[in-house]
This record gives sequence, structure tokens and C-alpha cells, in this order.
Amino acid sequence: MKVLAALGAVLAILTGSAHAQSQPLTIYAAASLTDVFRAFDPDQRYSFAGSNALETQIRNGAPADIFASAAPLNTQRLFRQNLVGKPVTFTSNRLALIVPKSNPAGIRSVYDLRRKPVKLVIAGAAVPVGGYTRTVLRRMGLSSVLSKVVSQETDVRAVTGKVALGQADAGFVYATDARAVADRVTVIRIPAWAQPRVRYEIAVVSSSSKKAAAQAWIKTLLSARGQAALKEYGFLPVPGA
Amino acid sequence: MDRRRFVLAALGAGSATVATPWLGSAAAAAEDDLAFANFGASTELLVRDFYAKAIDAKLVGAQTTSALRHGRSAAGWHAKAQSDLLTSAGDVPPDPEDFDFQWPLRTFKTKAAMVATGLAVLRALRGVYQTAAAMASEQSYRVLYASLAASVSQQIVALGGAAAAEPFPVALDIESASDAIERYLG
Repeated sequence: MKVLAALGAVLAILTGSAHAQSQPLTIYAAASLTDVFRAFDPDQRYSFAGSNALETQIRNGAPADIFASAAPLNTQRLFRQNLVGKPVTFTSNRLALIVPKSNPAGIRSVYDLRRKPVKLVIAGAAVPVGGYTRTVLRRMGLSSVLSKVVSQETDVRAVTGKVALGQADAGFVYATDARAVADRVTVIRIPAWAQPRVRYEIAVVSSSSKKAAAQAWIKTLLSARGQAALKEYGFLPVPGA
Repeated sequence: MDRRRFVLAALGAGSATVATPWLGSAAAAAEDDLAFANFGASTELLVRDFYAKAIDAKLVGAQTTSALRHGRSAAGWHAKAQSDLLTSAGDVPPDPEDFDFQWPLRTFKTKAAMVATGLAVLRALRGVYQTAAAMASEQSYRVLYASLAASVSQQIVALGGAAAAEPFPVALDIESASDAIERYLG
């Protein structure tokens, strides 16, 4: 009887462990990672939003295992407060200006935003893509076009959606998001000299109960397979890596 | 002074004039000033890469190679001067890692191709410096850009010979110059 009880206990531990292993990770990720993460590993549980909003949720105790941010600022702030482990950079991106295929404002260059009356949509300043947008405009001497902003969105997908639906004349998004709606928008290149340094960071959330699994997932993302998936969706390698 | 000494002296002047009187007013830099500095610093990094590859290609004699080395040095100084301006103004200056410089396949295969590509980049850069020398908001910036334009003009002559000299070089806005160099910046 004692042997049976012991066997039962061992079995319970083993099945419990296996159950924990098979439970999906909860991954909080920047909205721009939506398509690539879902394709890379559809078995996990995702929450996609602006990195600033996700940072706030994690600070408030949201049950995330992994945080993938579109800007180092968000992960580093949490790291300094020991709310996530040491972040690693895993990919990079570029900004692009998109206009609807019909291009009602006749925009051919970023400089046309200054010359022509346009309805511009961008992300809020606290959202990574919103911060990057302001950097681009400042670098190009075009901050005055911020007066033409008709809407400030909470994440890049909302900006992309509004332009793709023709609700705005132009919007600043990541090049990867522009690719995703290539049939509905025209992409206008931003000069390389004006591009901001868009770096994505990822980290294990300190309160996670699945740290080992989370670390393994990040390792897979950093592997050749993970990097190939990112490349397929238009993301760029980490410079100097 | 023979032509070689003249050219080397002129290229050196590009770096010798890089003191930093403009940094005192960097906080007050207007948006267009920052655009000039961002474009200039980035393009100087491109120019420095061009000179490094041109030297490695060994397509020219010792005299021109020496001029290429001075040009590379000047480009480094020019980039630093403008990067310092940007840093002082609270901006992040460009870094070589930000770019994936793309030179057409044949650029460093023949001297003619190398010279033609180098001149295209340098002329675009000088065009913007001329505009900045006239339009920058601060006197110290205008002096800086006039100096940089003069240095780049000398580099154009050193690279392309007397035939490359233009009595009245054209000033360019950043948009036009950007179109001219974008394919090389990657």
C-alpha cells in the first residue's frame, strides 16, 4: 500500500510537471510583433498592445511570463525595478510613411507633409512608434507637420488600420506593418539618415512561475529559426550582432 | 606650392578648422540646423566609408592615395563636429552601425567608376553645406558650414582633378541631396 501511495505521489509530480510544461506561456508583446509571433509559435497565449501600455500592466502585476518591447526604454525601466530579468535585443525595424492606395492628398515624399494639406495619423508620444515618429520628424526638420495630426493612436496597428481604411491621408508605422497591408497602402521611404534606432528587447518577467520555459522560448527566438521567422516578416537583424 | 601640397593643405584645413565655437549655441539650434547636422554627419560617415574602400581598392597612385587618406580623416572630423553639435542639442548623433552602406558593384573596380561615385556623393554633400552656410540660424553654424563646404570642394578637386572643379557649384536642399545619396546609405 505504501509502495502504491509512493508511486501515486511520483506520478502526480510527473504529470503535474508535464502539465506545467504544456501550459502556454503568457507573452506580452509590442503590437508590431503580432503577425510574426503568432506565426512563429501559435501555441502561446499573447497579449499585443503598445509597449508602454504593456509595461504599465506588468508594473501593476499582470500575469505575464515574457515581455517583448518595441523600444529598450520600456524593458529597461522594468529591469531597473527588478520587474523583469536582463533584457536582450532580438531584432530591429525601420519606420515608413504610408498613404492609402488612392492617395487623395497626393503625397510622394515625406517632405510633402509640409507642403500639402494632409490629415496625418501617428501614435501617441509614449508609444514607441510615436516616439520614433517624432524623432524622424525632428531629424528631418519637419516637426511643424505635427500640427496636421488629426489622431494619436495607442499602437501601430491602429495607425496602420486608419490609413489602410482611408480615414487618414498618411501615417507613420514600422516597415513591417506597412508590408502587412501592402495591398491597401503605398509605402513612402524615409531616408536612412533620418531613421531612428528601432531596437526590440525581450525579457522574462520576474513574477513568472515558468521562468525556465520562458527563458527557453526566448532562446528559440534568438536562434537561427527565430531570426529566420523575423526576417520573413521583414524585421531586420540586430546591427553588429 | 605644388598641386599636391596645395591639395593636402586644403584637405587638412577641413580638420584644422574644426574647433567648436558652435557648440555654445547648440541648445538654441533651430530645427533646420539639426536637419543639416543629421544629414551632414550621416553623409560624412558614408564619405569616410567611401574613402576607406577607395584606399583598399588600390586603383590610384601614391599621390592620390595620400589625398584619399586625408579625405577620410577630414570626413571623420566633419562627422564628429556635427555629431557633437547634435549631442549638445540633446539629439542622438548617427553611428556607422545605423547604416548598411551599399556601393554599386563596380564602384571600386575601376578608377573612373570610383571617381564618379565619390564625386556624386561629395557634390550632394557640398550642395547641402552651401545651403546651410547661407541659411543656418546661428552665425557660428554658418561659419562651420562654409568651412565644411570649402573642405569638400577641395576633396572634389583632389578626387576628380581640375576637370571636377566647378566655378559656381549649386546649392542643394536636403531633399534633393538626400535623393542623390539614399541608394548608398542602405
